[in-house]
Amino acid sequence: MTDHTPLRRQPWVPLPVAVALVVIAAFVGLKLVRPVIPQSVILLYMGFIVLGLVIHITLEDTRIARFSGFFQSGPGEGILVKVERVAVLALLPAVAAWATYAGLRPQYAPPVEIFQRHPTVGEATLAQITVPAWAADPATWREADIAAGKVLYTANCAVCHGENLDGLGPAAAGFRYPIRPANFRDVGTIAQLTLPYVYWRLTTGGLQNQFNSAMPRWVAAPGDAGASALHSNDLTPDEGWQVILYLYRATGYTPRVEALPAAAHASH
Amino acid sequence: MTARGARGGLAWAVVSGLALLPAAGLFAEPAWAQAAAIRDYAEPALIDSRLAVWIAAQLHLDFAAFVLAVPMFALAIELFGWSVARRDRAAGARFDWLAHEMARLLPAAYSLTAISGALLGMLLFAAYPRLMAYMTETFGPTFAVYPLFFVLETVCLYFWYYAWDRLQGGRKWAHILLGLLLNVFGTIVMFIANSWATFMMTPGGVDESGALVSLYGAVWNFGWMPLNVHRLVANITFGALLCAAYAAYRFLSARSEAERALYDWMGYTGNLIALFTMLFLPFAGYYFGFELFAYSATYGVTLMGGVLSWLFIIQAIVIAILFIGAAYYAWLGLLRIPGSEPQRRLIPLFNVALIAGFMVWATPHTMAASIEESTGQFHPLLGALGLMAPKMIAVTLILVVLYVSYLLYRRAGKVPVVPWARAGARIEWGLIALMAAIIFGLGIYGYFAPADVRIQTSIWQILVLIGGILVTFVLDLFLLRGAKTAAAVRWGSMPRRGQYVLILLAFVIVWLMGLMGYARSGARLNWHVFGLIQDTSASAGLPTLGEAAIVVTLITLVFFALLGVAFAISALSGRSELPAFGEPRRGAVA
Ligand code: HEC
Repeated sequence: MTDHTPLRRQPWVPLPVAVALVVIAAFVGLKLVRPVIPQSVILLYMGFIVLGLVIHITLEDTRIARFSGFFQSGPGEGILVKVERVAVLALLPAVAAWATYAGLRPQYAPPVEIFQRHPTVGEATLAQITVPAWAADPATWREADIAAGKVLYTANCAVCHGENLDGLGPAAAGFRYPIRPANFRDVGTIAQLTLPYVYWRLTTGGLQNQFNSAMPRWVAAPGDAGASALHSNDLTPDEGWQVILYLYRATGYTPRVEALPAAAHASH
Repeated sequence: MTARGARGGLAWAVVSGLALLPAAGLFAEPAWAQAAAIRDYAEPALIDSRLAVWIAAQLHLDFAAFVLAVPMFALAIELFGWSVARRDRAAGARFDWLAHEMARLLPAAYSLTAISGALLGMLLFAAYPRLMAYMTETFGPTFAVYPLFFVLETVCLYFWYYAWDRLQGGRKWAHILLGLLLNVFGTIVMFIANSWATFMMTPGGVDESGALVSLYGAVWNFGWMPLNVHRLVANITFGALLCAAYAAYRFLSARSEAERALYDWMGYTGNLIALFTMLFLPFAGYYFGFELFAYSATYGVTLMGGVLSWLFIIQAIVIAILFIGAAYYAWLGLLRIPGSEPQRRLIPLFNVALIAGFMVWATPHTMAASIEESTGQFHPLLGALGLMAPKMIAVTLILVVLYVSYLLYRRAGKVPVVPWARAGARIEWGLIALMAAIIFGLGIYGYFAPADVRIQTSIWQILVLIGGILVTFVLDLFLLRGAKTAAAVRWGSMPRRGQYVLILLAFVIVWLMGLMGYARSGARLNWHVFGLIQDTSASAGLPTLGEAAIVVTLITLVFFALLGVAFAISALSGRSELPAFGEPRRGAVA
């Protein structure tokens, strides 16, 4: 950027080589991160990086000249420059070949699945769920209920969701795809949800429907009489609420509250 | 356009505006329940009604946004030119030219607004008779005043535009007044239409069965003000970028140096306006989002964790492209100023910061993964970056970078003369660094805090940003007071690639508007009026993102095709004499 005087000597690494090195380093670096970063995200990141490089090169006329000048052979240039030029130019077809190969290589994996962390529920469904008075307000939750919730959690949920509610129970690794058991300590799960929503989650589970996860169904949905016959380890509604209270108390989160009760909408 | 053409356009607009009136009366049936005799759905357009309405509505919105926004900043520029004219006649004339040039596409675009609006109205009434009967029942009086204001807006617009040359000099005040009225009426028209749109998302003023309790409550529903604010700001960004693209086109096809210089300046101004208003958009968006969440948790889940969450990743990428493109254009602008090398040296640093910031901002929280890649969990690294707190840090710091770029642009080619210049500059940079550090610290704190505190910290971040900008900008004003100009801006010397970026940005913003239109409407899922009137038509399901992307692209192309026609028409009436550029005072716009 500072070489606006032609007298300045050429930098040691020609610009296109530096650009290629940055791209390669970023790509390899992203590929090395463990657990792996999904291809789609790597692609996104690489897109931004390449955009940044294009901007960098085209910001100054001198830099454009330096970039394109590299590809023109001049008299008396060293062998190093020639090798570099060929290497950079070879990179493009190499990338294309790799992309083609990756696209055509037979794969046995199921197609990429977009897991919806919080499937959408109808207002009407949520409205059917009434939070019992003793569970509604975190300030008045009773210790006895939370203790009961802890017992139920340890017996039923900890295998998957973990003793520490971190989603790392002994069975968790077995349910890797499309999604592992939720880590309740992550702010992305129960901290974002209202009480009726979490309860609804216990009434639906994941195996039985399009949400497609290992999460079992724990309590019968309101008005679903045949549910307990299907699921031997169902919890009663009160037990369901007790576990939920425990989830919140143990993680320190509070349920999301709707700013306004439903009735206020109409009168607003 | 000739005077006769103008009257033709005017008549068109009035007629199509009035076309809504009888329709409003026709369907004035009692309540939703009693309107059962009316058919629920019809298919007047031969294609899927939802698709037809979608296309018509989005086209109408695109044109309406343009038509509403351009008079706002054109009037501001005109006003500025008027006040400058007293000191510097040439500069005044130049600003007047700029304002007129920005308004040039208005008459043709206005007719297209009216036509697409009439089409939308007719399609809606024909395809969704029962829903529209209900809307008419609920919003009856507003349906009646709407055309009234529309007509007033029309009259003001055509007079404002076509009387421009006549109302000069001593009569300029009358012209400014007309422009002011135009803006007032235009804003009212938009606010009325917004109340219908937001009622469908967050109905208010009605009882459980949907019967109207208070018209006031129905109009001023939960989402109304947020959408008003959001659309006002976004429209200006939109209009300014389209004007900039127009300027870019004229720059590229300019035949003289003078022309090139003027259109370069116009493009620069358009981009500056867009960039400035764009700064507020993320916050306007969050405000709208918060209100929706507060109205119903379902919206929160739908938008952020559910079906539409993927859309917001695309939105994040598209917004990133907008900001990066606008910043790139601004940085290229330094090439216009001889002696800007010290400023240009810092740009690669900004580039890195901007790209890194947008990588965080576009990081998805959960993501598409194949079975080999699936950790089945939030990824420890990406999961952390994908959250609200890091994104807020990224966004606010991006804004800091953009602001600092602007400060550098002001600084380029200038030599401060105040005695405390060195110390002042140090304090200024120190303050900016402090601002960035506080924003960062607040974000880190918010990351570990519970959700309600996190929202608080993000508000504080914004306040620190705004406060910091205000303080440093005032400091900068004093610092550069009477500064010597080492080199003037050489307008017209902008590289051509900068102009192509402007055109690209216009395309991107139209596409983005379309995408967000889909999001706003789609968030209701299978409801016509959320929670009240269910969509039971065959096409009630939410179109997939891929489908939406195709439709939105199509709409964008049609929009540009139509706008191209407007371009061509407006080119027929060239005001041939260009104002002299002379030695413009730099920074005069800013
Ligand atoms: C067989 C393993 C398994 C068991 C046992 C299990 N879960 Fe889950 N759970 C999952 C999986 C996998 C998910 C993540 C996918 C999903 O949300 O459906 C999940 C998700 C959840 C969620 C939704 C979190 C969110 O952010 O949407 C809640 C709430 C939940 N579990 C509660 C419980 C409770 C309470 C128990 C015990 C009564 C329990 N789970 C037992 C596997 C399990």
